[in-house]
Amino acid sequence: MEINAVLSLGVQGEEDSYAGKLYILPPYLTFSSVDRKSVRFTIPLSTIRRVERLNARAGIYALSLGLWHGMKIIVQLTSLRPTADVFCSLLRDSLKVELQRGQMKAVKTFVKTCYSEALVPTESSVGDNEREDGSLISEEKDGSPPRESTYHGGLGLKFKFPGDPKKLREASKIKLWTTYLRAHGRNLTLLRYPQCTRLVQVGLPNRLRGEMWETLSGSLYLRFANPGVYQRTLDENKGRTTTSTEDIEKDLHRSLPEYAGYQDEEGIAALRRVLQAYSFKNPELGYCQAMNILAAAILIYMSEEQAFWLLGVLCDRLLPGYYSQSMHGTLLDQRVFESLVQRCLPIIHDHFQEVDVQLSVASLPWFLSLFINSMPMVFAFRIVDCFFCMGPKVLFQVGLAILKINGEKLLEIQDDGGFLHLMRDYFASLGDSAHPQSSDPRARAITRFQELLLVSFREFAVITDETILSERRRFRSEIIHSIESFSKRSAVRNLKSLERFSKEQAGMIYDALYKAMFMVPNTVIATPPTPSLLAANGEPDERPETRIELRTFQYFLSEIATWARDEKVVSNGFQQRIDRSIAEHEFIDRLFFFWDTSCKGALSFQDLVSGLDGVMFNDLMENIEWFFNLHDKNKDGFLSKDEVLTLSETFLFIFRYEIGDAYLGAVSRFMTNAFEYGDALLPDHEKSEEKPDGESTKPQAGSNTPYLNLATFRMVVLADEVLESFFETDLSASFRLESVPDMDLPPSSSGLLGDIWSNIATADNKKIFHKFTDEIGKTIGKHQVIHRPSIGRYTKLDEPKAHESLLTPSMRKSPSKSSLTTTSSTLSIPATPPMLSVDSSKKLPMRPSEYSPLPMVKAANAALMERSHFAIDDATGDDDTDDESERGADDDQVMDEVDAFLEAHDSGLTAADKEVANDLLHAKPVK
Amino acid sequence: MADPASGSGDKSVQVKLVLLGEAAVGKSSVVLRFVSNEFQANKEPTIGAAFLTQKCRLEDRVLRYEIWDTAGQERFHSLAPMYYRNAQAAVVVYDVTKASSLEKAKSWVKELQRQANPNIVIALAGNKVDLVLPSPSTSGANSLSESEDEADDATATPGETPGADSQPESLRQVPREEAQAYAAEANLLFFETSAKTGEGVVEIFTEIAKKIPIEHILASTRGGAGRPGAAGARPGQRQEGVNLEENQAKSKDACNC
Ligand SMILES: Nc1nc2c(ncn2[C@@H]2O[C@H](COP(=O)(O)OP(=O)(O)O)[C@@H](O)[C@H]2O)c(=O)[nH]1
Ligand SMILES: [Mg+2]
Repeated sequence: MEINAVLSLGVQGEEDSYAGKLYILPPYLTFSSVDRKSVRFTIPLSTIRRVERLNARAGIYALSLGLWHGMKIIVQLTSLRPTADVFCSLLRDSLKVELQRGQMKAVKTFVKTCYSEALVPTESSVGDNEREDGSLISEEKDGSPPRESTYHGGLGLKFKFPGDPKKLREASKIKLWTTYLRAHGRNLTLLRYPQCTRLVQVGLPNRLRGEMWETLSGSLYLRFANPGVYQRTLDENKGRTTTSTEDIEKDLHRSLPEYAGYQDEEGIAALRRVLQAYSFKNPELGYCQAMNILAAAILIYMSEEQAFWLLGVLCDRLLPGYYSQSMHGTLLDQRVFESLVQRCLPIIHDHFQEVDVQLSVASLPWFLSLFINSMPMVFAFRIVDCFFCMGPKVLFQVGLAILKINGEKLLEIQDDGGFLHLMRDYFASLGDSAHPQSSDPRARAITRFQELLLVSFREFAVITDETILSERRRFRSEIIHSIESFSKRSAVRNLKSLERFSKEQAGMIYDALYKAMFMVPNTVIATPPTPSLLAANGEPDERPETRIELRTFQYFLSEIATWARDEKVVSNGFQQRIDRSIAEHEFIDRLFFFWDTSCKGALSFQDLVSGLDGVMFNDLMENIEWFFNLHDKNKDGFLSKDEVLTLSETFLFIFRYEIGDAYLGAVSRFMTNAFEYGDALLPDHEKSEEKPDGESTKPQAGSNTPYLNLATFRMVVLADEVLESFFETDLSASFRLESVPDMDLPPSSSGLLGDIWSNIATADNKKIFHKFTDEIGKTIGKHQVIHRPSIGRYTKLDEPKAHESLLTPSMRKSPSKSSLTTTSSTLSIPATPPMLSVDSSKKLPMRPSEYSPLPMVKAANAALMERSHFAIDDATGDDDTDDESERGADDDQVMDEVDAFLEAHDSGLTAADKEVANDLLHAKPVK
Repeated sequence: MADPASGSGDKSVQVKLVLLGEAAVGKSSVVLRFVSNEFQANKEPTIGAAFLTQKCRLEDRVLRYEIWDTAGQERFHSLAPMYYRNAQAAVVVYDVTKASSLEKAKSWVKELQRQANPNIVIALAGNKVDLVLPSPSTSGANSLSESEDEADDATATPGETPGADSQPESLRQVPREEAQAYAAEANLLFFETSAKTGEGVVEIFTEIAKKIPIEHILASTRGGAGRPGAAGARPGQRQEGVNLEENQAKSKDACNC
């Protein structure tokens, strides 16, 4: 629930008041100021320790919330009174639930894992002097004994943090942050006011960095909500090897190898565990190169458990699709970046076009590794600070700024190599002065890195989250389409055999396969046997291959074979449409196993191509043989009686919607003849002697013994015109590679409902519309459902003649009545067509709503747009890009002011300094 | 013959070369051997592709290789076209001790022949041959143990395999002849190499250099950089007349020899 509210801090004068919206999203309470960026918080309800209704002037409805960390926030509910009442009672109830869940107690243990607790003692006014020396060596070496050494920390505590602490002005930063955190809460209760962002922009202090990354990205909440999950994930998968774990192993020693922690087994082991744990948690993504760089980087600043959750937020939310199997997110954002360059830096873009240089050769690693692999770590980590605080748009802003700053030189490059060299040199010089020739010492002091941030956040402030989202939307289908056609081309190219299909035809089979995989995903994901497993079995180390299970195959076949789907033509007076569903029948299962030549229980693309080849190019005789083999389960060259029955059932299944009696008659004649000839050709008495019980001496085969051979079967089939034509052409033709035509026939009336139709073209609406019109149709007696025939050759009711001539009289022995009667009792031949007989088929609903020619587009869309509104999102930060600059502040210096301030007051901050800092931070006009 | 001392010193021809192949077959090691003649654990994290350059002297001319060493992980496959586009040469690497790596190599070759620059020169390199060839010092012992094997095999029960690690030759999963036959059929240069010992590595690059249609590159470019596809598509707006003539003069000379 949301409500309008005005937020102020309990301490007078500490912060201005902000109007915004307050949300209860159990188990969180979140606030966002009207501009959606100045002030925000997301706090677990369990950190709220006291709620008071303030006794204020009439007409004002205000609550005072006392939080775990001792600060008070006051929210004035400005919506209408009844809304406020509802809100309050919802808040009360939600708090109760949290209390009952024991979350209130969990807070106490959890916050102890946060460094900020050691930084800001809860016992209030105890001095925060002990870490002022900025020493970066681990706690134990400090003079004073650590008060709480239970907080989580990264490898940096032991192996030192990159960079010179003096130069980084660690002590002063810590001091400023201590002040901020004391007044605005910390870890779970952090309130994000504008100066939070500004402090982040001048670089987080090393010791606090890990925790702030967690808090700003929101991964802190996941760690809080899932205690012990990291360790459990590792324990449950102990000793498991997968493709991912093998890939991880290869990269462990090339992940920030220059950092001391990774020249040590301790660091390597931590990195291994975090990457493995993520790959176990998300096996579909597994492990992608570049994740090693991210994990190695964050592990310098945070514990394994913290890193595990942060890596999750990175891969799943902040960099969506970057590391997936298709890397669609990476390709998409590269495309978006290119389009932003075209828009913001057209001259550079044109030059790149002219000399045919692709931006991505340089920018790909920027995005995939958050610049960590491109810049010196100290600088990259400051960009990462901003990324967690302000969101993914930071990558684009920095990328654009890099190009802009190097604009002139870029216009001289002629090829990819030149581009890369230029970038390499630039990154190596980031620590140099941006204006070495300037006479103003202040200007000289500005480094190229500071310049980069200035340009990023000032000049490219126009790049907002909305820009990125809308650009992503713009290019999504283009990217997905190109990935699809790329993988289609390589799948077709890599077929061991195209058989008799053309490439285009194989491509159509591929399309049907992928559509099926999207509509009916395999139940067990990621089961391809690992290479090591295969190797152990002595099989060649095969690359994991896409294979589909039976259920998916049913869908696949329904795309290709007319009889593998049930199609109902529904007309109701307003429209005519085809409702389609997947048929299920033993025959389809049989086909599945028939095509599974390597007995893997799943079919590969090649299996499907070869399988279809086995039937689609057949002539009459080949088709008869194919059909025979399909039903000869033990491949002994004979059908047993049971198999003859099954085969007849297959006929009935395929013919189930044919109009008229022709096909039924044919099947019935087939059975009569099959048993007649079968019995006639029985090798007489030897057969019966084989039977141990010897129950009968009559020449009668057991239901499972060899009975009908191919020659006889062929003869019986050819004796019938309908069956003959079925095998001659109809069977092969019932497999069609062109995509199944549209589900919806155009509405029969173009009147009012026709117009409505064109306006409601969303799938869900269509369903409702269909239902609606069906109902009307029924009322006015126009509702009619016809099953569409699969073959549709003999539509008249005339009965085709058997080919009498083919039946040599000598073979017409007396039909063994007995066997026929048993038959007809097991198999009920329907008296009226269609569909009575075989319809044991359960129907899979086909979800017409998701019917799309580009199923992957949908899948990917879903993946990309899946960012549901969750409290964590609010914490992951979208924006700051301060407005000061637009108000005429001296561009070159605003960003640097805090830096300069820190410079001037590097040693020891007094209370007066704090005021100065505060003034500085407040220098901005507030609404 | 060409006059090498024409003003700016040796003007080199730039050749873009891409390395492709399954992960861990030794692409980066081969490049490292070629570029700095050393063999060591690969310390450079590769995201997408690593970029290196190396000059290669060939008779009277110098080629400057721009080498793109691509990441081997399967999912980076869709990024590969970015690196092989406009490439004049490709080295497709497989590992002689791993049969599946040849299959992957074949699929790269197919892809290059369909999608890349039509004049691309492709070399197939079967790497890690040090693992399967008896090194000179131990060759005697090796052949001895091999003959012992044969004797063993004759008496041993079928299906029992001799210990794999003691006989290098048994590590081999791709027979030289098989790969060579495939290379001939697909019109590829073929080498067996070892980044570890250096065997065959430089040869790949010199043989490629010989086969590269340098005249074609020079003719289709302005300036020093060889970028055939691009230059053809866009008529030159740049003024680099001097360089251009210089290059063309050179290319004429080259035709004469
Ligand atoms: N024995 C041997 N090992 C090699 C050779 N080339 C590479 N390696 C090893 O194979 C592994 C993978 O090599 P790398 O160059 O990273 O392969 P890439 O993934 O194709 O770039 C490393 O452990 C190398 O040391 C070789 O010629 N002989
Ligand atoms: Mg490599």
